[in-house]
Amino acid sequence: MNRKLFAVLSVFVLASLILAACGSGFGKQPAAIEIEGLEEADFAPVKYEAPNCDYGGEFKSMEAVDETTVRFTLCVPDPAFPSKIAFTAFAVQPKEYLQMTGATGDILEKPIGTGPYYVAQWERGNQLVFKRYEGYWGEPAKSETLVFRWGSESAQRLLELQSGTVDGIDNPAPDDFAVIEADSNLQLKPRPALNIFYIGMNNTYPPFDNEKVRQAIAMGIDRQRIVDNFYPAGSEVASHFTPCAIPNGCVGDPWYEFDPAKAKQLLAEAGFPDGFKTKLFYRDVVRGYLPQVSNVAQDIQAQLKANLNIDAEIEVQESGTFLDNADSGKLDGLHLLGWGADYPDQTNFLDYHFGAGASKQFGNKFDDITSNLAQAAQLASDADREPFYIAANNAIRTHVPMIPVAHGGSGTAFKASVTGAHASPLGNEFFAVMEVPGQDTFVWMQNAEPISLFCADETDGESLRACEQVTQSLLGYEIAGTAVEPVLAESYEASDDLTVWTFKLREGVTFHNGFTLDAADVVESLVLQWDAAHPLHKGNTGAFSYWSGLFGTFLNAPAE
Amino acid sequence: MTQETQIVAALDAEGLSLKSVSLWNITLRRLRRRKSAMIGLAILGVLVLIALTAQWLAPYDPYAPLIGVEDVRVREAPCIHLFGCPQSKPQHILGIDGNVRDQFSRLLYGARLSLMIGFSTVTFAIAIGTVLGALSGYLGGWVDNVIMRLMDVLLAFPSLLLAIAIVTVLGPGLINALLAIGIVSIPAYARVVRASVLSVREMDYVSASRALGGSMTQILFRRVLPNALTPLIVQGTLGIATAILDAAALSFLGLGAQPPTPEWGSMLGAERNQVFTAPHLVFFPGVAIALTVLAFNLLGDGLRDALDPRLAHIS
Repeated sequence: MNRKLFAVLSVFVLASLILAACGSGFGKQPAAIEIEGLEEADFAPVKYEAPNCDYGGEFKSMEAVDETTVRFTLCVPDPAFPSKIAFTAFAVQPKEYLQMTGATGDILEKPIGTGPYYVAQWERGNQLVFKRYEGYWGEPAKSETLVFRWGSESAQRLLELQSGTVDGIDNPAPDDFAVIEADSNLQLKPRPALNIFYIGMNNTYPPFDNEKVRQAIAMGIDRQRIVDNFYPAGSEVASHFTPCAIPNGCVGDPWYEFDPAKAKQLLAEAGFPDGFKTKLFYRDVVRGYLPQVSNVAQDIQAQLKANLNIDAEIEVQESGTFLDNADSGKLDGLHLLGWGADYPDQTNFLDYHFGAGASKQFGNKFDDITSNLAQAAQLASDADREPFYIAANNAIRTHVPMIPVAHGGSGTAFKASVTGAHASPLGNEFFAVMEVPGQDTFVWMQNAEPISLFCADETDGESLRACEQVTQSLLGYEIAGTAVEPVLAESYEASDDLTVWTFKLREGVTFHNGFTLDAADVVESLVLQWDAAHPLHKGNTGAFSYWSGLFGTFLNAPAE
Repeated sequence: MTQETQIVAALDAEGLSLKSVSLWNITLRRLRRRKSAMIGLAILGVLVLIALTAQWLAPYDPYAPLIGVEDVRVREAPCIHLFGCPQSKPQHILGIDGNVRDQFSRLLYGARLSLMIGFSTVTFAIAIGTVLGALSGYLGGWVDNVIMRLMDVLLAFPSLLLAIAIVTVLGPGLINALLAIGIVSIPAYARVVRASVLSVREMDYVSASRALGGSMTQILFRRVLPNALTPLIVQGTLGIATAILDAAALSFLGLGAQPPTPEWGSMLGAERNQVFTAPHLVFFPGVAIALTVLAFNLLGDGLRDALDPRLAHIS
C-alpha cells in the first residue's frame, strides 16, 4: 500500500515539475487568475447565422474565419457599427470560461478579460480591488493596485479626497467645483457635456395628448434660468435633444425661446386658460445631466405655477421603479430624466428615444420622426444623413414629445499629484494611465457600487466603468475622448455597402488566466447576447439591454 | 392691611393659598420655581408665537424663488445690514437656500409645521392610547392581555424603524409620516394610562360610584380617567419632542414632507451635501429642531417634577 502511495506521489511530483518547466521554458507570463478545472480548447472555425433577416435584428451572421479573423454580416448597412461594437457591453471573455460558468454566477463577480487590470477581490459593500496584469499586451498599468470605493453623498467623496484617503472622485457637487479649483492640493477635470436632461411627457394621457399643451409647456419654462442656477460651469442650455459635439447633433431649428405670454395663449387655445393640475415625477439620483435633482424639480414646479398656472405636485420615486414606470409609459404627468452618450452617434440619442423601437416613455410615436430616423441610420456619411436629421429634429420640435433642457457639465477631481488624470465624456475613465508617483495603489471613489462585472448584461455606468479596467472589446474609445480606436482588433474593414465587417485580431493577446485570445472567443462572447435561445443567454438579469438597444431584436426572441 | 390680606401674604410666602387650590394652580406654582422648565416654556412661547404669526413675520414667500426678483445667488450667505452687509444688497438674515428662496422665511413657516406635527401626532396617539389603556386597565382579563401583547409587539421594534416601515408601505408624504409616528407612539400612552387606571380603579370613590350603580363609561370617563391624567400630561409633553424629532428624521430621509414644503428635517436633508460650502443652510434648521426639542424636554421634565406629589416639597 505504501509503495502504491509512493508511486502516485512520485508521478504527481514529476508531473508538477514538468509542467513548471514547460511554463517557464516558453517564457510565458504566469497567469494572474487560476481557474480550477478550466482547460484551453483548440481553435475551431465557427459560424452562427440567422435563417433570414425577418426576425427584425441587425445581424445576419457572425463567424470566426480563422484564429485572428472575425466577420460580421449585417442585414442593413450600419455606418455606426464600429462605434457600437466598441462599447463595453461587447467585451470578449474566454469561451471556455463562459461555458464553464454558464455566463452567470461566478462570472458576475470574477470576469476574465484582456485588460491592464484583473479583479483581485470584491468585498461587497466595501471595496473592489484590481491588480496589474503583468501579461497585458499594451502599456502596463502605472499603479500596481487599483481600488474602487463608492459613496452616494458628494460631500463625503470630497471630504475623503481632501483628507487623502482616496486619490480621485467622480461627480463633485456643482458648488464644490470652485472649492476644488481653489485648493492647490487638488485638480478638477471637467467632463464635456455629452448628455441631455429633459422633461418628459406621455402623449397618451390628457392633457398631454394635446400638442398645444406640450408646446405651451415648452415655451413656458425658462431653461436658461435652470442652467444658470443649478448647473456647474461647462453646462449649456439644450438647443436640440442631442449635444452639438455629436455629428448632426444640432441640425435643424433650435428649440423654442422662453415666451410666457405666447405659452399662456397656447394653453388657453388648448382649453386650459386657468392651467391644470398634474404631477412631477423624478428619482432622487444625481447624474451628470442632472446634478441637483430636487432643486431643479422645485424650480420647474415654481415656473409651471408662475408662468402657466399649472399645479404640479412633486412625487419622488425609487430609482428602479421610476425607470420601469417611465419605460412602460405609466407616468401620467411630467417626468425628469436624462441620457448620457454610450457611443458618439445620433442613433444613440434619437433612435433610442424616438425611433420605431423606442420604449413607451413618450407615448405614441410620430411617423415623421421615425421614418426620417430610419432612413438616416442606414446612410454612411454625415453629409448624406444631415437632411434626415434636420427633418427629424424639426419634427421633434413641432410635436414636443419632451422638452430638452440642458447638457450638464460634470467632472472628476483628483489629488494634484496624480499624473494622467482625466475625465471621459463617455464616463469611462481609464485608470491604467493614472498614478500618484511613489505610491503603488490608486484609490478611486465613485457614486455607487457596481451591480455586477458581467457588463454584457449591465447598463449602469458605475458597473461599466469597473468593467472597462478589466475587459476589452474589439475596438474602444480613445482615453478622455470619443474617437474609436483599435483594441483587440488590430484593424478592420467594411464592404462597400457597409454590411460585411471583417476584424483582424491582434496577435499574442492573453486573457488574465493565461489563455490566448482567438476569433472563437469573440464570437462566443457576442452570440450568447445575440441569440436568446443560446444556452449561455443568462447574465445577471438576462435583459442584455444594450444588445437590443443597439442592434435591435434578439435572434430567437421569445414571443411576447 | 386687613387681617385676611396678612394671612394671604403669609400663606403666599409659604407657597400656600387661602382660596380653594386646584391641582393646576399648585402645578403652575411649582413649575414656576423650576428655572429650566420656565426656560422651556419661554422658548415654546416664542415658537408658538412665531408659528401663529409666520405670515406677518416672514419677509418673503417661503415657496417663491427670488430668481429675477432680487439680485441674489443660489445658497448665498446671510446678509444682515446691521452687521456690515452693504445696504445695496437685499437683507436675508439667514441667507438664501438651494432654490434661491429666503431661508429665514422658510424657517419661520417650518416652526408652524413642526409644532403642528408634534401636537397632531401626540393628540392622535393619546386619543387611541388612552382608550386602549383605559379599557385594558379597567376591564382586565383577556381584553387586557390582547391589548397589552399587541402593544408589546409594537414596542419591540425601534420606533423610527417601524415608522420608516409604515411610511414605506403607505408611501412618502407628510400625512403618512404623521400617521406612522402616531401609530408607533401609541403603546407608550396605552401603558401609562393602563398603569394609572389600575391604581385608581381600586380607590374608594370609584367603589362608591360603582355601588351607586354608575355605568362603566360613566365611571371610566368621569371618575377614573380624570384622576389618571397626570402622568399622561408629562408623557405627552415629552412625546411631542420625540415626535418632532422623528418627523424631522423621516423628512430628512425623504419619506416625510415633500419638497417644496418648508419642513426643517427636509430642509436639512436637501442641503446636507453643501455642509461645507453653505453651512448656514444646514446649521439653522438643525438649531431650530434642537431648540424645539429642548424646549419640550425641559418643560416635560419640569411638569413631571411638578406633578409628582412625592417631589412636592423639593424645589
